Amino acid sequence: MRFDLKVALRYLLANRLQSALLIGGVAVAVTVFTFNAALINGLAEFQIDRVVGSSSHVTIEPAKLLPKVVPAPAGTERLVATQRALERREQIKQWRSVERVIETLPGVTGVSYNINGTGLVTRGQQTLPVSLKGVEPARLAAIAPIDRNLVAGEARLGLNDVLIGRKLADDLGIRIGQPIFVTSNQGRERTLTVRGLYSTGVDSLDARVAYVNIDTARVMFDLPEGLTEIEIKLADIYAARAVAKQLADTTGLEVTAWMDKNQRLREALEGQGSSGNIIKMFTLITIVVGVASALLLTTFRRRPEIGIMRSFGISQRFVLSVFMLQGALIGILGSLVGCFLGWGFSSLLVQAGRSSGRALPVDPSLGQYDVALLLAAAASIAAALWPARAASRIDPVEAISQ
Amino acid sequence: MNTPLLEVNDLRKVFVDRDFETPVLKGVNFTLQRSEMVAMLGPSGSGKSTLLSILGTLMRPTAGSFRMLGRELTSLKEAELSDFRNQQIGFIFQYHHLLPDFSALENVMFPHAGRLWRETQAGRERAAMLLERVGLSERMHYRATRLSGGQKQRVAIARALMNQPALVLADEPTGNLDRENADQAFALMTEIQRETGTTFLLSTHDRELAERCERRIYIQGGVVVDVPSAARVPLRVVPGDMVAVIDRTQTQATRDQRSIQANERSV
Repeated sequence: MRFDLKVALRYLLANRLQSALLIGGVAVAVTVFTFNAALINGLAEFQIDRVVGSSSHVTIEPAKLLPKVVPAPAGTERLVATQRALERREQIKQWRSVERVIETLPGVTGVSYNINGTGLVTRGQQTLPVSLKGVEPARLAAIAPIDRNLVAGEARLGLNDVLIGRKLADDLGIRIGQPIFVTSNQGRERTLTVRGLYSTGVDSLDARVAYVNIDTARVMFDLPEGLTEIEIKLADIYAARAVAKQLADTTGLEVTAWMDKNQRLREALEGQGSSGNIIKMFTLITIVVGVASALLLTTFRRRPEIGIMRSFGISQRFVLSVFMLQGALIGILGSLVGCFLGWGFSSLLVQAGRSSGRALPVDPSLGQYDVALLLAAAASIAAALWPARAASRIDPVEAISQ
Repeated sequence: MNTPLLEVNDLRKVFVDRDFETPVLKGVNFTLQRSEMVAMLGPSGSGKSTLLSILGTLMRPTAGSFRMLGRELTSLKEAELSDFRNQQIGFIFQYHHLLPDFSALENVMFPHAGRLWRETQAGRERAAMLLERVGLSERMHYRATRLSGGQKQRVAIARALMNQPALVLADEPTGNLDRENADQAFALMTEIQRETGTTFLLSTHDRELAERCERRIYIQGGVVVDVPSAARVPLRVVPGDMVAVIDRTQTQATRDQRSIQANERSV
C-alpha cells in the first residue's frame, strides 16, 4: 500500500466519529442528489411517455406549397407577402420513395402511412366533429397502442369498420356493432360500423379521433394515390430531431420531431430539469463546505504532527497527498453509501406507491449514480485542496513549538 | 575526511514583527567535525533553538552561510532542503513529538517510508533493529501514546537515526525527563554516537550532561564562543566566554549583562 494512503487511512480511522459524520454528510448529499435525479428524470419519463407513448415521434407532412417568386435583382431585397396557396390539395405524392428512405433509417420501431381528414359523425339528432385517421389495418397499432387500449370490441378495420374512443362513443351514446353515419369534409358520406372502443387516456384522442381503413379514407377524402401524413416511432425518442432533419433534407417534405410539436411539454421538462440542477448544485456545495471545513479543522489539530513530519524531511507533496487522499476517501465512500441510500429510498417509494395504488413517477434506475459518484468525489477532492495546501505549507518550527 | 562536517559562517537571524526587529543570532561562527558529541549551552532566549532550527534547515538565516558535508545549504530550494534534511539530519526534541496514531515501529520507519512513499522490508528491519538498540523491541507494535515518557524519547532517538544521518540535532532532549530517564537517554545517545560515528549537537541546560560531552559550545546573546575540546575545561571557569556579547539595544544589553552576572553567581 502506498504510504501516503496508509497515513490518510490512519488519520481517518483515528477520528472515527468525525470521519463517520463526514462520510454520512457526503452520503446524505449524494442521497438527495440521486433521489432528486430519480424523481426529476422519472417525472420527465412519465410525462414524455404520456405524450409520446401514443403519438408519433417524427411526423412527415406535405411540403407547404409556396408561390414561386422571381428572384430579386442582385443587390436588392424583395419582401413578399403570401397567403397560403389553397387551390391545390397538399399531399405526399411520392410516398413510395419516402418509404424506401425510412426503411434505411436505423432505430425505427414503427411507421404508419395515413390519410387524415376531418368529418362529422351523425347519429340520430347528434352530430359531432371528428378527425378521421385512415391507416393500414396491419399498422393500426404502429403509433398509438390502440390494440392494447381497446376496451371493447376488436381491433379490426374492414372497409366499413371504424374504431372510436370511448369518450366519443359515450357522447354519441353508441355501442359495439352499431352503425354511425360519417360525412367527410369532401362531402362524401358513408355508414360505418363501430368495431371497437379504445381508451388511451389522452382526451383529444379518445373524444375526437376515429380510425378507419386507409382505403375507405382514400375514397372519402378524394385522394386516389397520395398520403397526408407519415408517422414514425423511434427506439430512441431523443434521436427524433436528428432523424427529422435527415428526412427533411432527403425528401424536401415538412418533417417535425415530437419535441417541436409539444412546445409546452418541452418547456415543462426544461423547467423541471433546471430546478433539479439547482438542487444538485446545492448538494455539491454542501459537500465542498462540509469536507473543507472538517479537513481544515483536522489540519489545524494536526499542525504539530505535520510540523514534525516536515522536520524529518517529509516533502510538502507527501503532506498534500495525505490530505487530498482523505478528501478523496471521504468523497468516494460517502457517495457510494449515498448512491445506495438514494437508490434504496427511491425504490422504497416506488414500492410504497405501488402497494397504495398511486404509482409515483420516481424511477430508481434514473438516479444518475455515475454522475453523482463522479461529482461528489470531485467535490470532495476539490474541497480537500485548500486544507491540504494549508497543511503542506505549515512552518515546521512554528508548528513544533506550538 | 579532513573537511569538517559543518562550517558555520557569520550566521545571523533577525526576526521581524511588523516594524519591530529582534536580532537573535548576531554572527555565529563555529565548526563541527565528523563523529563529535557536542553540547550547546546558554541561557533561555540566547538563540540556541533558533540556531538548531537553522542548522536543521527548518528556518533560513537572515545573513551568513553554513556548509554541511561541503554543501552550501543557504541557497537550496525548499524541496532540496527537505530531501537533504531527510537524508542527513536527525532531530530529537525536548518533547518527543511522536505521531500518536502510529506504532513505535511506524514512527521510526516514517522518515524512510515517507521519502519512498511506501514501506519497505529493509526499512522495517532497520527500524526494528534501532528499536532493539534503544531497548524497546518488545514494545515495537505499541501505539506511541501507550509508551512512558522515557520510552517515547527513546523511540524519538531511534527515529532520528532511521535514515543514517550525518548530524543529529537535539534540542534539550532530556529536558522533559526525570534524572534517571535523562541519564539513560543521554547514555544511549553517547553510545550510539560512538557506534555510528554520527555527529550529535545537543542543546541542554543540564551542566552535568554537557560535561560528559567531548566539547561544549557556549552561546549567549546571539553569539558563540567555542570552548576547545582538548582542554575539557570545567564550565564553571568561563568568565572569558562573555567576551563577544554585542549590544542589541541599551536595555537588551543591560539585560544580557544581568544574565551573565547571574550565571557567574550560580557557578
